[in-house]
Amino acid sequence: MSSVVAPANSVLSPQSSVLPWQFTGVVRLTRIGTSFVLFTIFVGFAAINTGNNALYIGLSFMLGALILSGVASKGGLKHLRVELDRVDDAWAGREARGRLRVVNRSRIWNVRDLILVSEELAGPVYVGIVERRGEIGVDADFLFHRRGLVQLKSIDLYTRYPFGFFLKKRRVRYSGDVVVYPRLLDADETRERFRAVEGELHPSSRPGPGSDVHGFREYARGDSLRHVAWKKSASLGRWIIKQTELEAGRAVHVVVDPYKPRGASEDEFERMVSEAATFIDDALRRELEVVVSMPRVELRARGGEAARAIFRALALLEPVYEPFVPTLDRGSVVFAVRRSDERKSA
Amino acid sequence: MSERAHDVEALALAMFAAVPLYLTQTISYVPLAAFHLFLLAVTLRVAAGKSAEVLPAKLMRVVGIAYIPFYAVDALLLSRSAIAASTHLVLFIAAYQPIEAVRRRIDGQRLLITGLIFTAAIASATHVTIVPFVVVFAFFFFRQLMHVAHRDSTAAAGVSTPEIPSSRAAAFYLGATSAAGLLLFPLLPRVGTPIIPGFTGSLTNAATGLSDTINLNNQRTISADTTVVTRVWMGPDAIPFFTPLRLRGAVYDRFRNNEWLQGRREFTPLPMSPNGSVRIARDSGFTRRAYAQQRFVTGTRLFLPAGTYQIDGVPQVYEGPTRDVYMVWQPRGDMIAYDLRMARDVSPLEVRHVPVTNYPVTAPIAAMARRIVGPHTDPLQQSADIERYLSTTFTYIPDPSQIGRRMTVDDFLLRERRGHCEYFAAGMVALLSALGTPARIVGGFYGGKLNPLTGYFVVRREDAHAWVEVYDGASWRTFDPTPPSLRPGNAKGGLIAVYASALSDSLNYFWDRHILTFGLADQLRLFVDTLERARDALGALQRSVRRALTPRAAEVAGVILAIAALLLLMARQRRPPFELLRRYLASLGIEVGPATTMEEALSRLPAADAAALAPLIELYERERFSARPPRGVRATIRRSVRR
Repeated sequence: MSSVVAPANSVLSPQSSVLPWQFTGVVRLTRIGTSFVLFTIFVGFAAINTGNNALYIGLSFMLGALILSGVASKGGLKHLRVELDRVDDAWAGREARGRLRVVNRSRIWNVRDLILVSEELAGPVYVGIVERRGEIGVDADFLFHRRGLVQLKSIDLYTRYPFGFFLKKRRVRYSGDVVVYPRLLDADETRERFRAVEGELHPSSRPGPGSDVHGFREYARGDSLRHVAWKKSASLGRWIIKQTELEAGRAVHVVVDPYKPRGASEDEFERMVSEAATFIDDALRRELEVVVSMPRVELRARGGEAARAIFRALALLEPVYEPFVPTLDRGSVVFAVRRSDERKSA
Repeated sequence: MSERAHDVEALALAMFAAVPLYLTQTISYVPLAAFHLFLLAVTLRVAAGKSAEVLPAKLMRVVGIAYIPFYAVDALLLSRSAIAASTHLVLFIAAYQPIEAVRRRIDGQRLLITGLIFTAAIASATHVTIVPFVVVFAFFFFRQLMHVAHRDSTAAAGVSTPEIPSSRAAAFYLGATSAAGLLLFPLLPRVGTPIIPGFTGSLTNAATGLSDTINLNNQRTISADTTVVTRVWMGPDAIPFFTPLRLRGAVYDRFRNNEWLQGRREFTPLPMSPNGSVRIARDSGFTRRAYAQQRFVTGTRLFLPAGTYQIDGVPQVYEGPTRDVYMVWQPRGDMIAYDLRMARDVSPLEVRHVPVTNYPVTAPIAAMARRIVGPHTDPLQQSADIERYLSTTFTYIPDPSQIGRRMTVDDFLLRERRGHCEYFAAGMVALLSALGTPARIVGGFYGGKLNPLTGYFVVRREDAHAWVEVYDGASWRTFDPTPPSLRPGNAKGGLIAVYASALSDSLNYFWDRHILTFGLADQLRLFVDTLERARDALGALQRSVRRALTPRAAEVAGVILAIAALLLLMARQRRPPFELLRRYLASLGIEVGPATTMEEALSRLPAADAAALAPLIELYERERFSARPPRGVRATIRRSVRR
């Protein structure tokens, strides 16, 4: 059985939205800051006009507060460093729990009311206080819009502290690589297909990890040398790979064909990967053993780290431009993108 | 701190901001008290967890609309002052806002109005106690600002978290703001400030201890007004000879209907020497210099210490309204500072005939005078006899109201035999008039207190006094029939009280001199002083260098310079790749700011340059972000950007 991949809604387009208070640049006067500046100008005019030193005292304080507000917020943000502690399993389009560590290396300034904003964050992250020469761990929800290896590069820090006159921004670099698993589609979309293979979950002659010999095939680049049938290879004069019979009683064999024909869009390819991931996820939830065949790699999992390895492989799957010829069984579920003229059920 | 507590604090802060207005009397008590009562009611309701609507919001809105035309009525008819009417308006808005805030959050506007009340309060305040007021206000104002900043931040982040206590932070920022304010205060431009430093402050409501006439028909009251009138500096060698101070301010030499008057005459301008000195008397004996800062309490009259013969550093001086009393022409400000020259003995510049006063001497007074002086015929000896007689046999009453009725000078001398300093002086002049000796009452200030911390004498209103001057044919001699121990300024206090008073006055002096009256002249002086000190320091450095410039020292300096150059070179070599790239991009016209990543900078470059630079940036990122950075990246980048 192979898949029919119809044009679908884009799974690439990020849905990130800019919050109304976000801005480019490094500083923006807030409403209360604007009022305060106008008020300071008013008092300054009154002081100069009257020569009243009591007003000059007030003016000095107000200017001092304005200057200090700028210096404090800049001085605080300047010494902040953000590090990525961890990100839990990250699926494209789904929020992933993670943890950031914010370090304040300033000797003077505490930073309060800090807001962290990044394209990779699901929303603004609020940090109450980062004390001088201190650090704080903060939980953050990440939201990645597409699968793959995402390099976290920069994060924007905003603060109104201390007096709320200015909204100060600083973009800091932080490093971290996150493998984002494919976007999981609505399970209903794959349920139909899953129902089709559900009846064949009992042992079947299917290649996979096991002890019995299933068959022989030509060596392909990337195959492990442990699977080479040495005697047969010697007799034939070329390398032959020994395939073993899948031992699992309740197993699903999934073939993901990364071939991307000309004319197929990237969205179509991504949707195919998402469908495969959704199918595998569904199978794993049903506690089935899943064997995934991809070019040069065959992975088997029932859950846990092995499952992560499958999704990681799907996350990093790149389209190839030469057709892939997988070994198919009767019950194999194939996910592939076909040219429009050859789209049909496999 | 809960939201309710913050609301209560904001209300209390608005009320607190208006407190100095009671003292400065910018507006009358009635609207102020109404404002405080209204806000107190609102505060109590909010503290009890109820709505702030003391009055229904609709009614308040109607009142608010009605206030707009009322403002014009207030300014034109009621207060007759735009400032007072504006202050009323601000207070009304402050009272209106808590009710409006029930409907929508207007924390920023409320704080702004509180700030306006604060400005109105400090604008009319002159006393040093305004400093703690400003500090306390600023502390709570900062707390409120931090609270608003916190709420805006959490709203922006879409979270709801309790605010971290902000008292310590507010105190920290208060200290830092004060430091910044202190630095800024002398640097802010002055245009309309009085040029001559001295004292300032509203004096219109204070009772002066010196009156135009000594009217014995009215009961006198003496209030313990500690307002400073004058501060006088003199050298320690002058103090034994010129103290207790007698600051002369008025001369009463005419009598009419139980009232001693100042003889009216024209104001006569006195000639000023080319160096700005005005000579008012002839000196004899040793002389000393003094410096005085004086507040005007009777027009622009000067209160000169007895013995003054020359005044320096003042504008045009006039003699008047009586002889030997002086005033200056100063259209602006209520303070003045000047130098004085004092002599042990002074005499008028011109010898003139001085008549005996017109006091209607009665036979009993004449008999009494003759009895007191006995056989003496010398006017000065007679004066000494009368002075001694009055000061030893009459009773001084510090509070004239104790007499309880109108008393003439004759009553004082013949029957009552008790009174305050004006009666003693008037009685002595009456007795001397009976003897045909020219004499006059002098009003002014006596004594004062030496401030042990700063070395000046401070004379206050409560030191007002009257004494007698007797003309000996050539000069006026001072006599004081009031018992010495009972004269003003002779009250004894404990050591702690003396020092506490001195400390308080020093503080007041500092406030008056360096804060309230800090003006353009002070700024220029500060600038010139700074320049001079810098020049002196540079000169001293040059001299030191010349002295130390030996061949050996030159060698050491050369070695130090070489090491410094080497260190500088090494520091440049150690510049991180980011800095190298940033500088290179800057040379291409691309500024890499703190919020710019290298990729963003790269996107702004022309395609050819970007393509050339991309490998370097990739190299930098590998070095910066990789767990195992490659080696030699810095050197590679440095070499590349040099090319």
